[in-house]
Amino acid sequence: MSSAALSSALSAAGVPAEVSEEAIGAVARVPASDLVEALTALRDADCAFAMLIDLFGVDTGEQLELTYHLRSFARDEDAYVRVAAPYDGEVPSAWRVYPSALYPEREAAELFGLTFPGHPNLKRLLTTDEVELPLLRRSTAIRTQEEVHDR
Amino acid sequence: MTPEELSQARITPEGEAPAIVLPKGLRRVPRGVDELATEHLIVNMGPQHPSTHGVLHILLELDGEEIIAAEASLGYLHRGIEKLAEHRRYSAVGTLLDRADYISGIHTELALAQATEQLMGIEVPEKAQWLRSLFSEIVRIASHLIAIGTYGMDIGAMAPFLYIMREREALLSVLESVTGARMMFNYVRPGGVLRDLTPEAEPLLRQFLKTFPGYLEEYHTLLTGNEIFQARVKGVGVIDRATAIAFGMSGPPLRASGFGWDVRKERPYAAYEQLRFDVPVGESGDCWDRYLVRMEEMRIAAELIEQCLDGMPEGDVMAKVPKVLKPPAGEAYSAVESPRGEVGIHLVSDGTDTPYRVHLRAPSLMNLAVVDEVMPGHKIADSVAIIGSLDIVLGEIDR
Repeated sequence: MSSAALSSALSAAGVPAEVSEEAIGAVARVPASDLVEALTALRDADCAFAMLIDLFGVDTGEQLELTYHLRSFARDEDAYVRVAAPYDGEVPSAWRVYPSALYPEREAAELFGLTFPGHPNLKRLLTTDEVELPLLRRSTAIRTQEEVHDR
Repeated sequence: MTPEELSQARITPEGEAPAIVLPKGLRRVPRGVDELATEHLIVNMGPQHPSTHGVLHILLELDGEEIIAAEASLGYLHRGIEKLAEHRRYSAVGTLLDRADYISGIHTELALAQATEQLMGIEVPEKAQWLRSLFSEIVRIASHLIAIGTYGMDIGAMAPFLYIMREREALLSVLESVTGARMMFNYVRPGGVLRDLTPEAEPLLRQFLKTFPGYLEEYHTLLTGNEIFQARVKGVGVIDRATAIAFGMSGPPLRASGFGWDVRKERPYAAYEQLRFDVPVGESGDCWDRYLVRMEEMRIAAELIEQCLDGMPEGDVMAKVPKVLKPPAGEAYSAVESPRGEVGIHLVSDGTDTPYRVHLRAPSLMNLAVVDEVMPGHKIADSVAIIGSLDIVLGEIDR
């Protein structure tokens, strides 16, 4: 139901997308270069995904995946748009489509080491400049208690 | 000038001022220079400002008293909860998330427990579902009381804070007797809840329900009917519906803007499907509406507590779950209506006993983002009213 609406809205906008029905709901995988068009299409199409609920990253071990959690009040449904990005890669900023992306993008930028071209203020959100490693990548280890003591 | 000359310089009863003879060395400013040269001033509000509700730091650019631009600077309470959660067993993640939104930890726990249950396909006993709703509402009142009390303090009304603490104490003693803790409960676990109501809990709650409507009237007298309070919040910090949706807001701030979205109604969880309740909605989306929505929600939450106590089924409070939780690989999202808005947990499992990724959708963070948009154009004193009306918890924003 939801995945059909998702794929028809995306194909109407000419965005190449791979739509699948997963346990969390309909997920559309789009290339990073088409992300803004995809989100704009989903917001403005009949399915009217009016709100970006959330935006978060996952480090799959090979690359980074950003998930955009959208909600349509008209259809009373949630959907997800997923974008893959290489480590230290670039994903266009979605803030002009959904202003609610402003803070989560800053967070993803610092914790996963991404850049969001087009973001008006891509400063660090949570950590200071002394923190060099992208903290939420799997390769960044947390110190054990002994290591903290020895320091 | 001699004293005689000064007395002559006073304005005459006819209203004409005699020319003042300037002392030597002073010259009158040339006429025509009426415009004052002003300079924009950057003011650091916080992170130790008493009315930023924690360690929020807002940079305000001021032109005199007026705010030109505002920017929130966060991270003073960052503890790496999401990262730490990847290194703990599922049963231990709840204790971490309790400390995210420390005023209403039970909702974050509940979101995590539900996401874990989704992944593992655990059926939660009905009694546990009712207890979850009951404690959600108890904590909602306790949290809204803090919001209202501290909001009064921000605005300059000291008295309500002292009264809300009296009622909050009654609720906290119930929570303490059942969960063993006053704030960091770790009460909701994957599969159910820790334990049943203790024998003293129900009488305490019934007593509270008897007195609470009267106390609510008291707050209305103390705060709602306070002219100074009204003058400070009415028409201040208006967030219209479109802005609220664009910024992904949720909870009382969204409903105050006239959009009645409530997770308890739209995506019922725990026992909310069997409970009858209304969702209060504001009109104009100003600080006054956000305050009134919270007051109304407290009244409704008290009714829900009564419904939960009356309708509480018999049975187990915990499903049969393994000691070490190992959800199959997959993803789950679970949302809960916390006093601040929609708390969501995105849980990614890789089949081991520790989560692969735990993402907390913090309603305070999304609600705070609108501050940069709303504050410009207001006076500096209004910034306090706006922040207080959003009722943010920094533990959740910084994680």
